[in-house]
Amino acid sequence: MSRRVTVVGAGALGSHVVQLLRNADVTLHVIDDDRVERKNVLAQFHSAKSVGKSKVQSLSQAMQFMFARKIDGTPHRLRSDNAEQLLGGSALVVDCLDNLESRNVVSTFVREQDIPCLHGALAPDGQFGRVIWDEDFVADGEGGPGAVTCEDGAHLPFIGVVASYIAYAAQRFLEQDRRVGFQVHPAGATPI
Amino acid sequence: MLHENEARLNITWAGQNGDLPDAVAYDATDADVRQWVTEAVRHGDVPGIAADPAADFQDFVVDRFAANDTRPYNLIQIRPKTPFGAAP
Repeated sequence: MSRRVTVVGAGALGSHVVQLLRNADVTLHVIDDDRVERKNVLAQFHSAKSVGKSKVQSLSQAMQFMFARKIDGTPHRLRSDNAEQLLGGSALVVDCLDNLESRNVVSTFVREQDIPCLHGALAPDGQFGRVIWDEDFVADGEGGPGAVTCEDGAHLPFIGVVASYIAYAAQRFLEQDRRVGFQVHPAGATPI
Repeated sequence: MLHENEARLNITWAGQNGDLPDAVAYDATDADVRQWVTEAVRHGDVPGIAADPAADFQDFVVDRFAANDTRPYNLIQIRPKTPFGAAP
């Protein structure tokens, strides 16, 4: 039975991370309760034909259509009362969320259950990203009004870079049991 | 070679990244770190980061990472906040 990798959040980072992990010998499980909006197509791995669908369904269909890769999807919001059901049994949890409340649910659960967890996060100006293991992770507060990291698609290349580092760190963990993290900026990445 | 109580101070500002040329005390306060990097970036003293007289790190986060097997020195990083992983 293959190991289960759960990606929480199928937006700017999570949707790209999932497609970059398509060759991993794991069961991919994706959690997101949002639906695809037209603006999402500019920066996320969702197609224009998926507008209106759940992000989980959109990603599942894209992965199947393009790569013949099956993923498990849960189109529900992660909460403390369903964390066991949705995250339990994971060999790795990858947090690509956009809100402090859900990030705290992830951190609390993985720390209680001793599940390895990798967090991905972006600065609102699309100029900085973090790829960091839970033992070093402190969630930052949410940005103020006007923080629109991926609304217009201008930051897509950098979002792709950060997603690649997340997928790379996950791959290193899955293949070599090594935990590597990065601070990512447009000039490159600094290992941490 | 850094001493046990010293750290490399890494700075991210306006999409640029660099290290303060001199090591700092690993237990320096966040306020001291902010003051040092503000002065250094404003004066152009950080290789890799262009001088910016308007540099302001008051809203930045100071992270500390103790030396480990793969990084044999303490690391302090000052960085922008990162609230996002996905679009709302």
